[in-house]
Amino acid sequence: MSSERSDVSATLRDNAEVAEALGRRYEAGFVTDIETTSLPPGLSEDIIRQLSAIKQEPEWMTAWRLAAYRHWLTMPQPDWAKLRLSPIDYQAISYYAAPKAGPKSLDEVDPKLLETYDKLGVPLHERAKLAGVAVDAVFDSVSVGTTFRKELAEAGVIFCSMSEAIREHGELVQKYLGSVVPAGDNFFAALNSAVFSDGSFVFVPKGVRCPMELSTYFRINAMNTGQFERTLIVCEDDAYVSYLEGCTAPMRDENQLHAAVVELVCLERAQIKYSTVQNWYPGDENGVGGIYNFVTKRGDCRGADSKISWTQVETGSAITWKYPSCVLRGDRSVGEFYSVALTHHRQQADTGTKMIHIGRDTRSKIVSKGISAGRGQNSYRGLVKVEKGADNARNYTQCDSLLIGKQCGAHTFPYMEVKNPGAIVEHEATTSKISDDQLFYCRARGIGEEDAVSMIVDGFCKQVFKELPMEFAVEAKKLLEVSLEGAVG
Amino acid sequence: MSEAARTPFVESLREAAAAAALPGRGIGWLDAARCENLDAFLAAGLPDTRNEAWKYTALRALAQRPFALGDAQAASRPVEAAALALAGIDGPALVFVNGAFRADLSRLDDLPAGLSLEPLSQVLAGEPEPLRFALARLYRDGGEAFARLNAALAGDGAVLRVAAGAKIAQPVRLLIVGAPAEGELAWHARHVVELGEGAELELIEQHLATGEQRHLGTQVSDFVLREGAQLRHVLLQRAAAGATLVRRSGYRLEARAQATLHALELGGALVRHDLAAELAGDGARFVTRGVFMPTGRQHIDTQLAIRHQALGTASESIWRGVADQRGRGVFRGAIVVAPGADGSDASLSNKNLLLSGQAEIDTKPELEIYADEVKAAHGATVGQLDERALFYLRSRGLPQTQARALLTAAFCRAVFDDLPDAALREHLDTLLIGQLPS
Repeated sequence: MSSERSDVSATLRDNAEVAEALGRRYEAGFVTDIETTSLPPGLSEDIIRQLSAIKQEPEWMTAWRLAAYRHWLTMPQPDWAKLRLSPIDYQAISYYAAPKAGPKSLDEVDPKLLETYDKLGVPLHERAKLAGVAVDAVFDSVSVGTTFRKELAEAGVIFCSMSEAIREHGELVQKYLGSVVPAGDNFFAALNSAVFSDGSFVFVPKGVRCPMELSTYFRINAMNTGQFERTLIVCEDDAYVSYLEGCTAPMRDENQLHAAVVELVCLERAQIKYSTVQNWYPGDENGVGGIYNFVTKRGDCRGADSKISWTQVETGSAITWKYPSCVLRGDRSVGEFYSVALTHHRQQADTGTKMIHIGRDTRSKIVSKGISAGRGQNSYRGLVKVEKGADNARNYTQCDSLLIGKQCGAHTFPYMEVKNPGAIVEHEATTSKISDDQLFYCRARGIGEEDAVSMIVDGFCKQVFKELPMEFAVEAKKLLEVSLEGAVG
Repeated sequence: MSEAARTPFVESLREAAAAAALPGRGIGWLDAARCENLDAFLAAGLPDTRNEAWKYTALRALAQRPFALGDAQAASRPVEAAALALAGIDGPALVFVNGAFRADLSRLDDLPAGLSLEPLSQVLAGEPEPLRFALARLYRDGGEAFARLNAALAGDGAVLRVAAGAKIAQPVRLLIVGAPAEGELAWHARHVVELGEGAELELIEQHLATGEQRHLGTQVSDFVLREGAQLRHVLLQRAAAGATLVRRSGYRLEARAQATLHALELGGALVRHDLAAELAGDGARFVTRGVFMPTGRQHIDTQLAIRHQALGTASESIWRGVADQRGRGVFRGAIVVAPGADGSDASLSNKNLLLSGQAEIDTKPELEIYADEVKAAHGATVGQLDERALFYLRSRGLPQTQARALLTAAFCRAVFDDLPDAALREHLDTLLIGQLPS
C-alpha cells in the first residue's frame, strides 16, 4: 500500500503540467513606461533637504527628517533576523522618483498610470464607484490619486496622501507622527523617517464609523529606487476604520529596497482593522532580484476598550522583515494578529508580531500560518510581553508551519516575558507537511494534484482568510494558488 | 582587548590564572588549549544581554565581583558524610569540595565490572591522551565565556567510563559540594562520561552546600553514548543560596542510544544550565524532564538545545517552572531538525506558574525545521493555579496556603512520575515540597 502511494506521488512529481506551472511568471511584473523625475542616487543631508523642498514641507518636517537621518548614521543594520541577504548599498539608491506630470486631480492623472492600476485590478476611476472602496494609489514615491474624497469628507474622515496631510493638516500630523514609532526606533524606521516620500494619512474623528473600506495601493515602478512610505492612521474615541493595503513591483534583476513605517493610534473604544496583501516581486526561482521588504508596523491602543487587528498575507518579496505590533496601553484593549506568510523558491521571511500588555484586562490573539516551499525559509518571530500592571492579561498564540518539499525550512522563535501573576499566556506551535496520504485521498476522488494542494493549503490558512474583507480574501486565495504553483513535493 | 572586558571579575581571574598550577601542566595540547581559551575569555570578558543566549540573564553584577581561584584548603574543609547521603541509594560516589577531589568522602572501592571512575587530576597524571578530544576544545562563541573559563582553569572533575555491554546496576553518584571559605572563590569542574556500545548507567549528579558562601562554580560535562547505550541522568541542584553556578552539559547520542534527564533546580542565587544534545545516530532518543523553582531573589536559567541530525530520532521534553517572591525563571527550549533528519519526532512543553507579583518568567520555545518528514510541536504557557481546583480544596477545609502548596507540588510532580527509582522519586518529592511556601 505504502509503496503504491509513493508511486503515485512520484508520478505526480513528474507531471509535465506541474513543471510548466512552475515556470509561471509573476503576473504584476510589467514596467510602465512613463516619464519620471527623480533625485540622483545617494543619501545625504542635502538630498533630504531637496526632498523636503520638492514636497514643499514646513520647517519642522525638514528638521524632523534631518534628526532622524543623523540618528540613523549612528545605527548598525540589524542582523538578528534569520535572513541571508547581500549587503545593501544605501548610496546607490535613489530616494525619490515621481511621474513627471504631477496630477491635480484624478481626472488629470496620466492615462498610462490609470492603465497600470487597471492591469493590477485596482479601481481608481469609474470602477471605483462600483467597488465601493476608497483608494489612495502610491506610484514610486508619490501618491497619484485618492478616490471618494468627497464622500469621506462629508463623514468627517480625512483620507489623503501623507504629503498633502503634512501641508494641510500639519497640526494633526505633528501631533501623531512618530508617536508610535519614534524616528529612531530601529535602523529601518530611522531611514524611513529621514526619507519617506509619501504614504497615506487617515483621521477618523470622534464617534465616526468610516463609511467605506479605505485602501492604499503601492507600486514600485522606476529602477534603482527604493520605496519609503509612511502611513498614519488615527481613530479618535468610538471611531472605526478598516484599511487595506496592497503592493506590487516590476520584475528586475536587482534587489530593490522597501522600508515602510505604519503607525496606528486608537483612542478610547476605537477600532482599527488593518489588512495587508503583500505581493512585491519575489525574485526568480534562483533568487535573483526581488524586493527587500523591511517594514515597521505598530499600533498603539491608547484608549481603554480600543482594538487593533492586523491581518497580513505575505506572498511576495525576496526578504520580508516585518513585525506588526500592538501596544495594549488602554485597559481592556485588544490586539490581534493574523498572518499567512508564504516563501517559495529562495524567498526568506522573518515575520511575526509583538503584543505588549500594559493595561489591565488586555487581551491578544496571534494566529500565524507559515508555508515554505522550494528553498524558502520561513520564520515566525514573536514577542508576548506582560508588564507588571497588566492584571488579568490574556494571550493565546498559535503558530503552524507547513512544509512543502525537502529543501525548505520552517522556524518558530516565540518570546514570552511575563511579570504579572494574574496573566495567562499560551503558545502552541506545530510543523507538518502535506502528506502523501492527504494527496492520495484527494486524487482518489478525482481531484487534480494542483487543486488538491490548493485545497489543503486553503484549509490550513482558513483561520486567517476569514479575517480579511471579502474581496481581499478572494485575492489572497488566488495569490497563494499562483505563488504555490509547481511547489508540490 | 575591549575596555568592557576589563572588569574586576576578569581582572581577578587574569591574576589568578597567571599564578595557577593546574594538574596536567606540561601536556602540550592541554597547555595550548588552556592558553587559547583563557586568552579568548580575557579578551571578550562576560557576555552582555545583547548576546541572544544571555538576553534574560544579566551578568553586570557578577562582572563587578573579584574571585580567588580554587581553594587551597579544599582537602580539609569539614564535610559531614551524613549530609551527602541519599536515602536508599548506595553505590560508587565521587565527591568534589570547592572543585577539588576528596578521596576521603568518595567511594571508589569495589567498583562493578566494566565501570571506571577516576578524578580528572589522576587521569591527567596518568594517561591523558584519550581525553584529548574533549579537553582540547576551543570555544569560539562569545556567549560561551564560562566554557572558555572552565576549559582554561578546570583542574579536576570526574572521568567515568562504562565498557561496551556493561550494565551498571547501582547508580553512580557525582557530588559537587560548595563549602564556606575565607573569601569568595571560583572553582571549575570538568567531567567526561563515556558509555560504550550497549552500556547502561544511572548517574545522580548532586550540587550541595555545607554552609553559606557566594562562590562561583563552573562545570562542563560531556556525555558520549555509543551505539545502543542507555543513560539515566538525575540532577539535583541545591547549591548555597548565595552561589553562582554555571553549567554546560553536552550529550552526543549515537545510533539507538537513549538518554533520559530528570532535573530539579532549587538552589543558588544565579544559576545557569546549558543543555545541548546532539542526536547523531539513527534512532537515538533523548528525553528530558525538569523543574525549576526560583524564589527569594533567585535567578534560574535553563537553556535546552536539541539537534536532530539522523533518521528516526526522537526527543521529548517536559519542563515546569514555578517562580515565587522576586524569583526569575528563564527557559529556552530550542529544537533543530537538520536537513535529511527525516522521521524525526520532537516535542517540547514548558508550563510555568507565577506565584507572586514580583516574580518573572521568560520562556522561549524554538523550532528550526529543515526536513519535511517530521513531527515537531512545542507549547509554552505562563499562568497561575486553577481557581476552581483551589476552591475545591478550600471547600474541603484546606487552608489557602496549603491548598496552593498542594496544587503547586502536583503541577511539578507530574514531571517526575516516570522516574523508575521509587526512593529517588520520593526524595525529589520531599525537596520539591520543601521549596514551596508553607
